[in-house]
Amino acid sequence: YQVFENVAEKYDVMNDSMSLGIHRVWKDILVHKMNPSPGTLLVDVAGGTGDIAFRFLNYVRSVRERQLQQKLRHHQNLSWQEISKSYQEEKSNPLGDSQVVVCDINKEMLKAGKQKAQHLGYSEGLSWVLGNAEELPFDDDKFDVYTIAFGIRNVTRIDLALQEAYRVLKPGGRFLCLEFSHVSNPLLSRLYDLYSFQVIPVLGEVIAGDWKSYQYLVESIRRFPPQEELKAMIEDAGFLKVDYQNLNSGIVAIHSGFKL
Amino acid sequence: AAGSRGASGQEQGPEPGRPLEPSLLRFLVCPLSKRPLRYEESTNELINEELGIAYPIIDGIPNMIPEAARTTRKRPPAEGSERP
Repeated sequence: YQVFENVAEKYDVMNDSMSLGIHRVWKDILVHKMNPSPGTLLVDVAGGTGDIAFRFLNYVRSVRERQLQQKLRHHQNLSWQEISKSYQEEKSNPLGDSQVVVCDINKEMLKAGKQKAQHLGYSEGLSWVLGNAEELPFDDDKFDVYTIAFGIRNVTRIDLALQEAYRVLKPGGRFLCLEFSHVSNPLLSRLYDLYSFQVIPVLGEVIAGDWKSYQYLVESIRRFPPQEELKAMIEDAGFLKVDYQNLNSGIVAIHSGFKL
Repeated sequence: AAGSRGASGQEQGPEPGRPLEPSLLRFLVCPLSKRPLRYEESTNELINEELGIAYPIIDGIPNMIPEAARTTRKRPPAEGSERP
């Protein structure tokens, strides 16, 4: 917990430095894989600073815009009334009733996320909750999608978090987990180790003045179950059609499962 | 922390009594019992009557960690509690 108190402020900067900005691509891929349609209800757990939430909102907004444009294009004989009604629809409901709830156990991360949201102009369809992934304060069968990006490795009881994820998802709902994973290629693995243990804590010290927290991060990555093991854990929680997609040769993996 | 004003033009008071996003009440339950909560406007808390606990809302963010909740049982569950 203390680790994230320290890192909250510099979180985004550190992410960019450590991953050379690639974490942004990983998160983009996650949301593209989700492919949410307008009206989707998302719960983003351990989503502190809002990276996934903002991407989700951008995505559904652009899908909605495209929907409305296509509607206009297909009805060539619209009256002015109908055209202006369509524009009004877009203005009054640009997200199409999509909503994202960001849940994090750390107050500082949430505060940072909320501030970022205000900076970037996000207000609609976004809410923030202080909560524990192992004991979610949400009712059963509520959400269409559950995401946890770079958060599950910090959960003490991953099995409980997965059970909770299953519980709060609607039937048909999707579980998506983006997390550091296992590199099987031996050469790449060695380079990755070198980078992790030699470079990252140094960056942590230089940028955030905190060597130990970033050493912890690197160690937590090493301890985390590899792809197949995590897949099995997700299946144990009841999810079906569980699969994973390696990014960057397994440095990161996206696991997906459905509540069917 | 940098407290710059947002571009969206929302009001940002630092008062702890800021109520939560109304749509959240659709989803929120007590993390322990998973039972519904009652929003108490006077104290800006979410109350679980059955268990007699209240979760605070700070800066519009509900704190749904059981350890942070306070018990309401010392007095009849009503308005006028001592702690904000």
